[in-house]
Amino acid sequence: MQDRPTAAELLEAIGDLLEKAVLPGTRGPLRHPVRVAGNLCRILEREAELGSELEAREVEILRQLLGPATGDDVRSLTAELDRRLATEDDPEFQARAWRGLLEIVRGKLRIAKPGYDAYDFVAELPG
Amino acid sequence: MSPTPDLAQGLARALSTTWGETAEIEIRDQASAGARRHNVLFDALRGGERIPLVATIIPNPAIQVMDVEVEAASLRLAESQGMPVPHVHGVWQDTSLVGGPFFVSTRIDGETIPRQVLRLVEAHPGLGATLAGQCGGALARLHAADADKAHEGLIRPREDDCVVEQALTGVAALIGELLQPSPSFTLGLRWLERHAPAPPERLSVLHGDFRNGNLIVGDDGLRAVLDWEVGHLGDPMEDAAWLCMRMWRFRNDELEVGGFGQRAQLREGYEAAGGAWRDEAFHWWKVLGTLRWGLGLAGQAKAHIDGSVPNIIMAASGRRVAELEYDLLMLLQPTDGAGR
Repeated sequence: MQDRPTAAELLEAIGDLLEKAVLPGTRGPLRHPVRVAGNLCRILEREAELGSELEAREVEILRQLLGPATGDDVRSLTAELDRRLATEDDPEFQARAWRGLLEIVRGKLRIAKPGYDAYDFVAELPG
Repeated sequence: MSPTPDLAQGLARALSTTWGETAEIEIRDQASAGARRHNVLFDALRGGERIPLVATIIPNPAIQVMDVEVEAASLRLAESQGMPVPHVHGVWQDTSLVGGPFFVSTRIDGETIPRQVLRLVEAHPGLGATLAGQCGGALARLHAADADKAHEGLIRPREDDCVVEQALTGVAALIGELLQPSPSFTLGLRWLERHAPAPPERLSVLHGDFRNGNLIVGDDGLRAVLDWEVGHLGDPMEDAAWLCMRMWRFRNDELEVGGFGQRAQLREGYEAAGGAWRDEAFHWWKVLGTLRWGLGLAGQAKAHIDGSVPNIIMAASGRRVAELEYDLLMLLQPTDGAGR
């Protein structure tokens, strides 16, 4: 076990440095990259906190979709789901995959961009 | 950035030849010096008149997206159709003048940066609706142009009836190049294959990147449409749908048109100017554009990872892919609510 601060705590400190100390004093072409770097620290901070829990849930969703005999590695499960969607024409499976993928993507957004999934698109759908 | 005397001299030589009289040049600002395009804002003093102009310079034609002649031809075609665009004063291929091929167009005042456009709209009640309607009218006038009059160098489908097929082939190829599979994108492609819309009556000249960010907006509304380098022939609904994708709304998600207006206002403007709005095709192109943008972000991350464009902005794009996966899935959601 590494000593404190944890990865999340260190990333928070680096993010604070970039956003609160470096960014205000930065002008010109580096300003945007510094802002992006600060935001990446926030993403990694959330990943350090939530990543394993969300990935375990992702594996569970993928195994429910693909069947329990498909292993427990998130990469190979994702590749298998992708292969089945690309090669099979099964509307029922696609509908189940849609629901599972939406939950997986919402999980990714909890790390990459919290709150992005608040908008539901309903008003702009056809019919 | 201080203006270089060579640049002013080159512009003076170019314009003096075209106008048949001496023009004195005052460089105002060298805005947005990207790798592919370089915009120089300047004034030309001709007789007693001060003419505000912009030179769009391609510093390295080897990596240009479109030849300046083709881009200028699209601008001129759009102007002749009554679409608000900067007037083109001349096009030069002679690289000895300013260091690359370039064209000079009228400089038009107004906001172009999306958040500033939205701030302007918020400060002027009714402006958003006006702007959305004007965008519809401007697009319809462009789309009404005779495609045969477009520059022969403008990108076009191999055959008139294969726009959808080529778009699908394009995204399928990009999906094949992903560093890691995205089942959401694959599901999106399958949906697109199953829901191909009926083709338009005829192909139109498209702007190709008609969105908040490429519009000059004042308190009177739309003043000009910029950046024609990805223009092509295609389904007119592609242009309308691109303007309505979520990423151009800049958090104003409820305002589908660029974060400033409603689709009904855009459509009304489009139809009032003689355009034929097709809902089914509009939605299909919105799904396609969303998928394309997601694949583009994944491609940027790949360019960072494989070392071809090592850059933190490109790297960060990889963590934006989930946004587009979400948008795509939500655009495909069952409308009976069963899947939600």
